Amino acid sequence: MLKIFLNTVFRKLFLQKGYSLINILGLATGITCSLLILLWVEYELNFDSFHENRDQIYSVYENQIYADGETFTVYATPAPLAPKLKKEISEIDKATRVSRIWGKLILSTEGSTFVESSGLCVDSDFFKMLSFPTLLGDPNLVMPNHNSIVITEKMSKRYFGEDNPIGKTININSNFEYHVSAVLKNPPKNSSLNFDFLLPFNFIKDNWGFNVNNWDAHAFLTLIQVKRNSYIPNLETKIKPYIKQNLKQSNTDLALQAFSDYHLYSISGKKLSPIFYVNIFSVVAFVILLSSCFNYMNLSTARSERRAREVAVRKVVGAQKRGLFALFIAESIFISLLAFGFAIVLVELLLPFFKELTQRDLSLTISNPILFLSFATIALFTGFISGSYPALYLSSFKPIKILKGNLYKDSHQFRKLMVISQFTISIALIICSSIIYRQLDYIKDKDIGYQKDNIIYIELLDDFQEHYPQLKENLIKIPGVIKVTAASQMPINFTNSTSHVTWGGKSKDADNILFQLSFVDYDFIETFEMEVIHGQGFLANKESDNIKLVINEAAASAMKMDYTIGGKVSIWDYEGEVIGIVKDFNFNSLQVGVKPLIMLINSDEFEYIAIKTDGNEQPIINNIRETWNTTFPEIPFSYRLLRDDFSYLYKAESRMSLIFISFTIIAIIISSLGLFGLSSYIIEQKYKEMGIRKVFGAEFQHLFKSFLIRFLRWILLANLISWPIAYFLMQWWLAGFAYRINISWLEFLGAGILSIFIAFITVFYRIYKVSSITPIRAIRYE
Amino acid sequence: MKTFRTDEVETAALNNVNLEINKGEFVAIMGPSGCGKSTLLNILGLLDNPTSGELFFNENKVDGYNERQRTNLRKENIGFVFQNFNLIEELTVYENIELPLLYMKVSSSERKKRVREVLERMKITHRAKHFPQQLSGGQQQRAAIARAVITNPKLILADEPTGNLDSANGEEVMNLLTQLNETGTTIVMVTHSPSDADRSHRIIQLFDGHIVTENMRQTL
Repeated sequence: MLKIFLNTVFRKLFLQKGYSLINILGLATGITCSLLILLWVEYELNFDSFHENRDQIYSVYENQIYADGETFTVYATPAPLAPKLKKEISEIDKATRVSRIWGKLILSTEGSTFVESSGLCVDSDFFKMLSFPTLLGDPNLVMPNHNSIVITEKMSKRYFGEDNPIGKTININSNFEYHVSAVLKNPPKNSSLNFDFLLPFNFIKDNWGFNVNNWDAHAFLTLIQVKRNSYIPNLETKIKPYIKQNLKQSNTDLALQAFSDYHLYSISGKKLSPIFYVNIFSVVAFVILLSSCFNYMNLSTARSERRAREVAVRKVVGAQKRGLFALFIAESIFISLLAFGFAIVLVELLLPFFKELTQRDLSLTISNPILFLSFATIALFTGFISGSYPALYLSSFKPIKILKGNLYKDSHQFRKLMVISQFTISIALIICSSIIYRQLDYIKDKDIGYQKDNIIYIELLDDFQEHYPQLKENLIKIPGVIKVTAASQMPINFTNSTSHVTWGGKSKDADNILFQLSFVDYDFIETFEMEVIHGQGFLANKESDNIKLVINEAAASAMKMDYTIGGKVSIWDYEGEVIGIVKDFNFNSLQVGVKPLIMLINSDEFEYIAIKTDGNEQPIINNIRETWNTTFPEIPFSYRLLRDDFSYLYKAESRMSLIFISFTIIAIIISSLGLFGLSSYIIEQKYKEMGIRKVFGAEFQHLFKSFLIRFLRWILLANLISWPIAYFLMQWWLAGFAYRINISWLEFLGAGILSIFIAFITVFYRIYKVSSITPIRAIRYE
Repeated sequence: MKTFRTDEVETAALNNVNLEINKGEFVAIMGPSGCGKSTLLNILGLLDNPTSGELFFNENKVDGYNERQRTNLRKENIGFVFQNFNLIEELTVYENIELPLLYMKVSSSERKKRVREVLERMKITHRAKHFPQQLSGGQQQRAAIARAVITNPKLILADEPTGNLDSANGEEVMNLLTQLNETGTTIVMVTHSPSDADRSHRIIQLFDGHIVTENMRQTL
């Protein structure tokens, strides 16, 4: 029985090669897309899922509420919080602080020196809460001492080769000796916490002299592990006022986020968080899969006229409707499994590109039962859905009618609807991807208010600030270097902020306005070509008793002192005088907008040297390296380009738009196959009619035109439906950006023309063929 | 000569057929199945091209015509009647009959007038709004004849016009064709029925693609 079944299926596939190929490839395309997306979605959803205690781990975050009603949401919490929470709240079992090391550290072993930035400072609970398996060392006592360092496999190889590193010494900044106490497996790629080495939290105090009892310095990630069956809303209420309880004037409330949501959900409600893309792409995957199923149905029914006779004969010799239904479904599932096989091959072929595109370490494995189940479901779902309509339809034919040669009637409304919805989807995707592309392009090229091109910057290590003047002098001599300046942060992402700012006439409701603080060299403003709109910039080397301040427009308007240059402002204990106002420039992602900013000169805080060049980068970089190596022979040279960092800010978005465009193209291909299927079907039905018309005088262009109009009408309808959908979707998406493009009607028109062009190409051959038939063939055709 | 090519053999459907049909004639073509009757009719109607040989229509050499020229010649001069009627199922009787006029770009008022006339002549006015499948075989064939004559063709080609009809309906169709012939239309008809053939002026017997006999008949 099975043999007969397979025989007939294969014979049919082989007899109708072109049809089979289109059908199987169409399905395979759809399945391939949904598989790729599924792999990615699964990867995103499983971020941090390897932690065994994941259901009990929460991160504590802050809601800082400011005068203008704005809430500033951050993971940065004070250092004393974690120990206090663990001590005082019974539901909390364990707690750890997590801090990236500040800037870079110089690590050295006997004979070699490394500059490292990928380290974390943590409490000992870190190892009990999170599942980073120990390879060497005592898993129960991973970090036994205040001078223990824990390193990863990767770092161990780099530092000690194949030797056992346990107990070996690593020097940090030539000041401290640490001993390797354990080697951990490298953190998995889907870990939110990434590191090469771990240091005890007190390193923050030891190395940087940070006061770890200060409740008013918000800087650390706090993770807690709650006892099983703790009631989280209750716990959250208890935690909420903790900072206010310890710091009277605080404006900060605390809240909890499940650590499993750490990667996916943005605590500040930022629209473009990963979960947004996960949802969008899940929908896209489903739509593409459905679309390719529609195709299968279309193509199958398009060929059904040929199969009608088979059905009739089977019925005459005794087949039941139920049996026929089963047969068609079985055939369909079989073909979908074939397509699935193709899809697996395609996924394997495309995976390297897709990995590159998503920047994720995806792999096609069936070791994960959920993934495997999803795969199997997709195959069966596709087969069943694809087969059900033709099966129902074909098995309901009346045999006598068909055998007598009467053509059965079918209003192909349902299929027409499928093709129109496929095109609606494609057109909407075309519009959306072009708007998304244009918006991101706009952001990249937008005049952000300062010069980001031709700027090379170098990170200055701690305690080397004193060398800056000498270094600057040497650097400026390099041919092609135009300016050299320094600052605590590059304008790409100012993060140092405070609300401890007062000024004359400050009103009560101006309390808690958050100001960004940046410590800069006097020629910072010139180097970045920021525009001074009132007063003046900093003056070269003019020391005076008063601190000079330059603020931005946003700060001026927050202080309501845009009319007075010379106003007095105090920040913490310093008193300063405003000497200039610069035009607002963007120092955050353009999704955010401009915040108040105060710049002042303080060379102790410099962390970066910025070098403006004439654009001839490579020889200049070589010269800078030479200069660097003579100044700091023991520290390896590394540099960054501001322009690259700027595009990095929008990397996720750029990547997503690329993925979006790829899937748009696939959706277009699939809907074209759909149109091809339905037009073939209709043309097949009309074959004889066209012959008759020709006998009675119709010419090629009559038939061609009438068919073309008929098909293009659907595409026009699809355009009309998709335009408003795309418009509202994109309005909503753009609303997430502080700086955005206007949606242009050209995008809609363009998508319309493109869709009509694609439709024309798709149906052209078929229409051409049927319109140029020799009438006698059509009359004979039955 | 007309040859059909299949994968293995070349079959001559018509061979060495030399035939002249005069204006106003009523010619019947007879012969066993597969002898080439329909092929001959299709060539005469410019639906099909001879593989070799010459074809004249109104003293013009037409065998070299391209598709457009043949379509034009056909729609102005030739009407077709088929055994299985070949009416378009999606169109009403009225629309089916109107179709050739549309392709000739006849004005709407003129079309209306002419369709009404011919409906009357064929006695199917009451069926004008029906679809073909709602009509009896005889009525369908009368509608098909109406469509064939609506353009006032000089030549009507009928391929077994009574083949799918009972004798009463067949008789009626033959009466219609005879009447048309009497008003000057040339008719070439393929038929299996000797009694239908009796209506013609001349009977051509085909066998294996050859004309075997040509009988001039004395019309009554």
